[in-house]
Amino acid sequence: MTRLNGLRRSRLALGGLLAVALAAAWGAAAVAHHAFGAEFDKDAPIKLKGKIVRLEWVNPHTWIHLEIARDDGSTEVWMVEGGTPNVLLRRGLRRDCLTPGTVIVVDGYQAKDHSLKRANGRDVTFEDGNKIFMGSSGTGAPDEAQRQNIERGRC
Amino acid sequence: MAISARTRSRDRRRMMRLVRNASWGLAAALAAAAVTITAAPAQTGAPQWTVPRTPHGHPDLQGNWTNATMTPVQRPPGIGAVLTPEQVKELESGRQDFIVEAARASDPNRGAPPDGGILTGDPLFDGATGGTGGYNYFYIDAGDKIAIFNGEPRSSLIVDPENGRIPPLTPAARQARQAAAAERAGRGQFDNPEDRPLGERCIMSFGSNAGPPMLPNYFYNNNYTIVQTADHVAILTEMVHDVRIIRLGEPRPLPDHVRPWMGDSWGRWEGDTLVVETTNLPAKQLGGSLSFPGGTEQMKVIERLTRVDDDTINYEFTVEDPTFYTRPWSGQVPFEKMDALLYEYACHEANYSLFNVLSGARAQERREGRR
Repeated sequence: MTRLNGLRRSRLALGGLLAVALAAAWGAAAVAHHAFGAEFDKDAPIKLKGKIVRLEWVNPHTWIHLEIARDDGSTEVWMVEGGTPNVLLRRGLRRDCLTPGTVIVVDGYQAKDHSLKRANGRDVTFEDGNKIFMGSSGTGAPDEAQRQNIERGRC
Repeated sequence: MAISARTRSRDRRRMMRLVRNASWGLAAALAAAAVTITAAPAQTGAPQWTVPRTPHGHPDLQGNWTNATMTPVQRPPGIGAVLTPEQVKELESGRQDFIVEAARASDPNRGAPPDGGILTGDPLFDGATGGTGGYNYFYIDAGDKIAIFNGEPRSSLIVDPENGRIPPLTPAARQARQAAAAERAGRGQFDNPEDRPLGERCIMSFGSNAGPPMLPNYFYNNNYTIVQTADHVAILTEMVHDVRIIRLGEPRPLPDHVRPWMGDSWGRWEGDTLVVETTNLPAKQLGGSLSFPGGTEQMKVIERLTRVDDDTINYEFTVEDPTFYTRPWSGQVPFEKMDALLYEYACHEANYSLFNVLSGARAQERREGRR
């Protein structure tokens, strides 16, 4: 398993400083809605690039369906899991912010059942590497980036 | 966008809460310097705030509230109960740096992530993702501020015991937990949907959002809507769309064998404080979750909700379960007014995750020749 180094790791660790104690509190497995490690295969990394064909803006997780072109000329549709849409809705981000046909790049890990063509969206970006949505916090910095995305017609 | 206005409003309320606590002098001075309007009411002898009331005469707790915070349930070792301004700044700016970092553009020509998984060094995140990286941080709304209660920035939500930690479990509780783990290990964690955690099954939050006690889950949707009538208080918890119905008046407890989700709650008004006592919690809700270690069916939770200003409910709770904990323990959590809507968390309809987890276990068994 790979560990992040340098600035990125220190920032991640600092951000979770107090949470560390929480996680260690009673030894319970820390899971969000579900156990990622049970759903996705850390030994099956994957990178996908394709156009959005469907967006399920639903709980407990958003699912982006994207069509991938294979080397033999055929296509297949993959489903990519994201987080709860409620947080995005509160930031004014709607399902139609990601229109069908938009090309996105995804990296993550394939579902443990490899026949499913599903993966977690560890990092979901536009073709140019920009995040499809932005985080939000007290400073307004990510909000500003989000505003720029809206102005670019990306919502 | 409306976000900026919301953020400014929240920061202004936060400063006001700090200013009220004269013992937190530096922050008060900074706040007064930065936002002169916040200091003005106290200096000019503005009218004392009075609690708003419902048409029935009860203190009005109604509205949308959030208990999202960076402050953990338990206090990290070596930190005081009340954080210094420097500690608050370090922690909050650390979270801020993380959010900014997470929003940066990625290499558009990046490859797949590393074979074997990826660890960040944050045990909470790594534990949650199992090394698969989870998903982008823009989905997360974990709370980026330290909890301020009675004007004090707190290092833990637990205030009793004094060390801010969950008291030790009784020997019987430890044995019962070990026996339960052994039983689960014997039949496999993935054999049956009912073996999966309540959160994964869309039955309750993966934290203890609905409670009681009502605690943040440190990921997202830590939001509540409170509605009152003359003889009931209803608390809608966004995660997972649960509604607690608290009956007011002389308790007529349910029979011991009737154990609804979130238990049997009875409330009464003590002055301007709503006091709620809950028993009859179901065993499946007491097995422990991300925010709360659980207990036994003997557990009793006492909660106190007091509206202390327009934007804050002081939420206090005590957990009593002498068969599980070696002593009762208590916590204090600020519930802040939300300037945003809650949304439906209809969870079952698209719960592909539970299917994927079970299907993944079957695939793993086939790969390993076990089936």
